[in-house]
Amino acid sequence: MSTHDNEAADRARRLQRVAELLAEAVTPQEVLDAILTEGVRAAEARAGAIGVLSEDGTSIELLAERGYDATAMSGWTAFPVDAELPMSEVVRTGEPVFIASLQERNRDYPALAHQAQDAHALVVVPLTVEGRVFGAMSLSFDEDIEFDSERREMKIALARQAAQALARSRLYAAEQTMRERMTFLAEASELLGSSLDYNRTLRQVAQLSVPGLADWCAIDMVGPNGEIERLAVAHQDPEKVSWAYELQEMYPPDPDAPTGVPQVLRSGEPEFFPYFPQEVLDEAIGDDEELREIVDQLGLKSSITVPLIARNRTLGVLTLIAAEQHPPYTETDFELAIELGRHAAIAVDNARLFREAERGANAARALAYVADGVVLLDATGHVRHWNPAAAAITGVSEEDAIGCPVGDVVPAWDALTSHVPLLAPGSAPRPVTVPLVLGGHERWVAVSGVEFGQGTVYALQDVTEEHALEKTRSDFVATASHELRTPLAAVYGAVRTLRREDVELSDDDRTQFLEMIESEATRLARIVDQILLAGQLDAGAIEVELADCNPVEVASRVIESAEMHLPENISLGLEADEARTISCDENKLRQVLVNLVDNAVKYSPDGGRVDLHVRNGNGACVIDVIDQGLGIPPSERERIFEKFYRLDPQQTHGVGGSGLGLYICRELVERMNGLLSVESEPGNGSRFTLELPVRS
Amino acid sequence: MPGDPQSRGKASSRFAAGTARRVLVADDERAIRLLCRVNLAASGMDVLEAGDGREALELARKERPDLVLLDVMMPEVDGWTVARELAKDEQTRDIPIVFLTARAEAADKRLGEQLGGVGYLVKPFDPVTIGDFVENVLGRIERGEREQLRRGISSSPER
Repeated sequence: MSTHDNEAADRARRLQRVAELLAEAVTPQEVLDAILTEGVRAAEARAGAIGVLSEDGTSIELLAERGYDATAMSGWTAFPVDAELPMSEVVRTGEPVFIASLQERNRDYPALAHQAQDAHALVVVPLTVEGRVFGAMSLSFDEDIEFDSERREMKIALARQAAQALARSRLYAAEQTMRERMTFLAEASELLGSSLDYNRTLRQVAQLSVPGLADWCAIDMVGPNGEIERLAVAHQDPEKVSWAYELQEMYPPDPDAPTGVPQVLRSGEPEFFPYFPQEVLDEAIGDDEELREIVDQLGLKSSITVPLIARNRTLGVLTLIAAEQHPPYTETDFELAIELGRHAAIAVDNARLFREAERGANAARALAYVADGVVLLDATGHVRHWNPAAAAITGVSEEDAIGCPVGDVVPAWDALTSHVPLLAPGSAPRPVTVPLVLGGHERWVAVSGVEFGQGTVYALQDVTEEHALEKTRSDFVATASHELRTPLAAVYGAVRTLRREDVELSDDDRTQFLEMIESEATRLARIVDQILLAGQLDAGAIEVELADCNPVEVASRVIESAEMHLPENISLGLEADEARTISCDENKLRQVLVNLVDNAVKYSPDGGRVDLHVRNGNGACVIDVIDQGLGIPPSERERIFEKFYRLDPQQTHGVGGSGLGLYICRELVERMNGLLSVESEPGNGSRFTLELPVRS
Repeated sequence: MPGDPQSRGKASSRFAAGTARRVLVADDERAIRLLCRVNLAASGMDVLEAGDGREALELARKERPDLVLLDVMMPEVDGWTVARELAKDEQTRDIPIVFLTARAEAADKRLGEQLGGVGYLVKPFDPVTIGDFVENVLGRIERGEREQLRRGISSSPER
């Protein structure tokens, strides 16, 4: 065998050896190691390097080198694809370059003229897969070599092997990365969906991101007032995390910052810095030397900031930073981050929606038991909430009300609410009481309204009873003052007239005025007494003291005292069964009987008999007061027991009445567990019947 | 209180005019009627008395007084109804009505104004000046101020 044949066989063996090693190499790093050790040795070169086209195709990144001087290689990690350099040219043309000597190199590539001057032959061959150049391999030799075709072929064959192995391993790595990312996304999504406590899950996601996806991961949320709130910072080193929080305290985010979290929050657009531009850092640092030191210490390389957007609202921002360990970010990382941001935003939104719905459900549950009617109208006046109390007050069920224009639900709604001032949330309610006629019944409703962003909420309170009570009270005052005004007018008027000096009054007039003063003053005193008594009865302040008492004795005394000032045309009589002891308040019983007898006399203007009958009834003592006077029309028989009701006052001249007598009688009798009723025929007198329980 | 106590000296000026004013006093309280009668007579006026609303209507239609002093709370027919009835009848619609009542609330005064009253006196009132008051009202009506009188009712001070 010739030397030439030996050499050829030797090269084939070396190539075979490289091929075997490359076949075993799985990861790009293993492939690069194999090429740069066995490959370089097989090519009989001193050193080797492998560069690949960047993703955007504008530069060549040096993936690995072996055998070069460290200082010579500094500054060569990446260089433009259009540079006048051998590797750039090879990548551009797809053709290998063989340089025999330093002179040739410096002649053909002046850019390298000032580079290492101890170099000799240099070979750069393209790395091609499926006809596409994706990088180049350079080999440097210890001596000047004029490469013959066989040696050239050998280098090209080596490059082909390397290219295939590298492409395969890169594909594998990419798949691996993709799988890892998918796994990461799946894990993150599962985490996000696992709980409604999105603050906690977002923190877990941040934690999950380091160190696989980032050296630093931060999540900032938009607070209720639009402020930026840092929710999570993750780094493998907990000390660095607390340091980051301190930094945040010292350098709070400027909401108008042109880059970073504030910018992404404002614009809703993601931000991606594959390499942190120094200008951006300088801009952020300014003249703050301390901050510059911190930033230098951080060693920021590359960052991705994505908005968390759900339903067109930016809820927060996710920031990934590659610093001391993680390689600079690629487009794929950017896409992954956007995807992660989307998942996180949906999870946050869902959690918030769920909480809102839950709050709504709780509110509805609470409102179901509130006694006040609560009505929520949206901005278009449609009913959105109608609680059971609102249904009870309006008589319209929730089902019939929800979703309908409120004017259709309650036709009187406008009238009901037109005088109700709509208040701003938080102001003290000022309910307005208005009548509401529903199904022929008038109800009084206190309505207050609060207007907020999305509609109006009304509170309705059924105050029909309170209103009736209030009306009774104000009627009482009005009637009482009215009752006082007439006798006052008489007394005051009589005195004023008597004191006139310009008019000579007749003796008869003078006497009448004096009598008038006396009788009207008495009437006033009596009205005042009765008003006080009625007021006390209303307030429940009258105590009845039940004791044994003989009704016949009480009746006799009432007759005796009545006879003292009886009109001449009236005669009084008492008929009594054998007395039975009853249980009552003797003073009150006497008061009632005096009043009934007075009334009987008063309403007998034409004279006649007034009789008292005391009978023993069924377990009761029955006292009748019977007259032969005017009688009471049927329609008036119950009304006479009402407060301030006076039957035909024309007949009461000189006697005067407060309109309270019978009201007071009935109240007193009922407090003594008795009954007071009346029978009458107009023109044929009346019979008032008092029944009191016999002592058991 | 209506009128001005100092002006009482003019009370009898009506005598000189020759034709005495005729005033119908409608009140179920005898005391009030007596007060009005004595004091109006002192001002030289003729006084007609009605003890309830029905009587008041009858007398007003029959006698056509120059003015009615009308109580509101009366048996049979109340004062509001009397005012309405008088306004319906062409013969009586121009008779000026001065309400004389214990009802002091604003709503009552508004009703009095709506029913065409030209005055509203709340009890207790000063009967000594009632003659001057009536004379003043009638004088103003003669001067064409009836509408102003009517409108003045609900703006008169609360008693």
